[in-house]
Amino acid sequence: MLSSTAEKIYWISRYTERAENTARLVNVNINLLLDIPHDRVSDFIHLVEITSDVEHFNETLLRKKIFYSSDSAAFKELVLEFVIYDTKNPGSIASCIEMTKYNSRYLRTILSKISWEQLNNLHADFSNSNKNVKNSDVLLKLINNSRTFFSTIADAMSRDHVFDFIKLGRFIERADMLSRIIEDQILRKDSRVSKYFRNLQWMCVLKSINGFESFKKINKDELNRANVLDFIIKSNDFPRSIMFCLNRLISVMDYLPRSKDFVEQILVLKKGTKSINKNSTDKDILELIDLFQSALNNLHNDIASQYFLLQDE
Amino acid sequence: MNKKKNVLMDETFFDEYLSTQGGIRKDLKKSYKFFQNLKPSKRRSLQAQLEDAISTMGITFQLYKGGIIDRSWPLDIIPRIINHSKWIKVELGLKQRIKALNLFIDDVYNQQRFLKLNPVLKDLVLDSSNFLPECKGIHPKNKIWSNICGTDLIRDHNGKFLVLEDNLRVPSGVAYMLENRNVMKKVIPEIFDGYDVNPIDDYPSQLFKCLSDSAFTTKKVKKIVLLTPGIFNSAYFEHSHLAQQMGIEIVEPHDLYVSSSKNVLMRTINGPKKVDVIYRRVDDIYIDPIAWRSDSAIGIPGVYEAWKKKKVSIVNAPGSGVADDKAVYAFVPKIIEFFLNEKPIISQVKTYVCAFKKDCKFVLNNIEKLVIKPVNESGGYGILIGPKASKNDIKKYQQKIRNNPRNFVAQPLIKLSTSPTLIGNKMEPRHLDLRPFILSGKKIFVTSGGLTRVAMKKNSTIVNSSQGGGSKDTWIIH
Repeated sequence: MLSSTAEKIYWISRYTERAENTARLVNVNINLLLDIPHDRVSDFIHLVEITSDVEHFNETLLRKKIFYSSDSAAFKELVLEFVIYDTKNPGSIASCIEMTKYNSRYLRTILSKISWEQLNNLHADFSNSNKNVKNSDVLLKLINNSRTFFSTIADAMSRDHVFDFIKLGRFIERADMLSRIIEDQILRKDSRVSKYFRNLQWMCVLKSINGFESFKKINKDELNRANVLDFIIKSNDFPRSIMFCLNRLISVMDYLPRSKDFVEQILVLKKGTKSINKNSTDKDILELIDLFQSALNNLHNDIASQYFLLQDE
Repeated sequence: MNKKKNVLMDETFFDEYLSTQGGIRKDLKKSYKFFQNLKPSKRRSLQAQLEDAISTMGITFQLYKGGIIDRSWPLDIIPRIINHSKWIKVELGLKQRIKALNLFIDDVYNQQRFLKLNPVLKDLVLDSSNFLPECKGIHPKNKIWSNICGTDLIRDHNGKFLVLEDNLRVPSGVAYMLENRNVMKKVIPEIFDGYDVNPIDDYPSQLFKCLSDSAFTTKKVKKIVLLTPGIFNSAYFEHSHLAQQMGIEIVEPHDLYVSSSKNVLMRTINGPKKVDVIYRRVDDIYIDPIAWRSDSAIGIPGVYEAWKKKKVSIVNAPGSGVADDKAVYAFVPKIIEFFLNEKPIISQVKTYVCAFKKDCKFVLNNIEKLVIKPVNESGGYGILIGPKASKNDIKKYQQKIRNNPRNFVAQPLIKLSTSPTLIGNKMEPRHLDLRPFILSGKKIFVTSGGLTRVAMKKNSTIVNSSQGGGSKDTWIIH
């Protein structure tokens, strides 16, 4: 496979996964906030923190003359606008979808027809939608379209390198997003939120990764910080846990050329992840997450320089 | 009834369906009746179905209008039908023509035997921007320079096929020829009933064979790639379609590089892989910024050296455009006689080369009846259409020709044939041409028919899709 093709496939997968994850996150947060008393500003700004660059967001605020102290409805609307539709925000859903579209133009003959057409649908549904932040249909449709895309990959494609690079991109992106969600949740030290609501926030985290039901099956009695973290980080069976992503990455490496070093790197990541336990303090976890993110980033860079970068002999 | 048919007739031109007596030509009766018997609204809805299929299949071409616009490929629902007995001569003629032209190009870059005998042409050729001195002394594999040729044909007022132009560089359109047939089969399969239509879908495998034949390596499995300038090229649809159909990689310039040992290598996830044949869909002077256009962003530095050393084949070979010069065109009948010792099987449009005193005088005296073309321009630039030109323009061109006769050729105004075409929900005659594709490898292969382009505006002869032209599925029937 051409290096440039591998790179485009990898990014299509990452951007589609990212768009879907962001859509889930936004959706669940909107729903949650209907239920609990909260400080709207701090509850919404964290969507920016997870997905985008806060400084960039602040510039947008300034430009629109909206402030943290402004009317909270206007603030919320701006956050959603920024995270969903703002193509100047490279972390927005709209930007992810544009990047997917851009890369897909090259892959017409590489992806199966049905997968390629599904990417077109995903793009068309999103760009033809009513761009209203109150319209949560857009997000649901996007989540469905993304799922359909990945299922066309799973169901209608040979297990060749296209498949491998889709998987590689998808699980690196997912592991990265999971670590950001955890980091953000731990950093949300909101004194005005009682322990009860804190647990509701952890439930919200679970829902944003579609994990609430699976979690409940194993943890019947209680939902708290420790057991939610344990589930998201260490579950071997749940597809949106960090451990699951790492195991998948290891299994992809079997099929890729010259990948022995990558397996080593992922094993180190796994070891670090496993060291989190219920006695870990917030500080411990934040440190480990920090290490995890930079190691994941290194893995990405090494993959890029081995498979994608255009080096001469 | 007869009167109605006459509405479709334009008597100064050859109509492919209707004879001058107003009757329907024998081979076309079934097809004509099929459309004639449809309710007008049904005709329209069939055309709409056809357009839907084209859009679902993603058959597009690109236009530049401020930005890049993807347009659905235009296809008319009424096929163009040509009898095999007529076509067979055209096919022979095209084979003969490309054989001679390839020998001519090889001669231009080597002994120049033909040019020595024709000093006027020699001056014109050696001065032409299409002549690349860097190609001197080179013989591509089998001495074939233009492995893939697209020759534009027209039919004169008697229905006789004439060559209008040879495209020996990077001819395009063949993917649309293939897709037109696919769409027709999908949307109106019933119209094929009772016709024995030559299949065309073996083109990609013929092309693959032709590209394989051009390789210098004796390896059994040759690495062949299609080089595209990128997704923003107007023919990208065709590039990706052909690459997919042949099962070869479609690469962009940055996917290839030339090693110190002058091998062309492709960057893959397994490391570099040697390339044997580059099917280039990039103009020759852009292909290597070291050898030619140094400002080219779509070139592979050093690929010219690799080609010269026979480490890689470039198809079509750089420099092959020297033979689709308008002055060379005028000499093709002579070229055929010289290199093959045969009479041309297929005729072409009479062309006056102003570099010849006699021709020049004739052109100056008859300019209002002729079309004047500058020799080294293409795409219709700088053309004067005598019968439609103002007195002022005629004077201006007469002066231009006197100042620099070598720069001009002239042809009589060409009458393109017409065929009924669906306009709204009515069938009306529209002008068309035909571009068959000729592949030269160990053997020469000609497509059965080719791409028919139609001028959709009444009386217009502009068939280019970028200017609102349409197309038709083209059948060679037995």
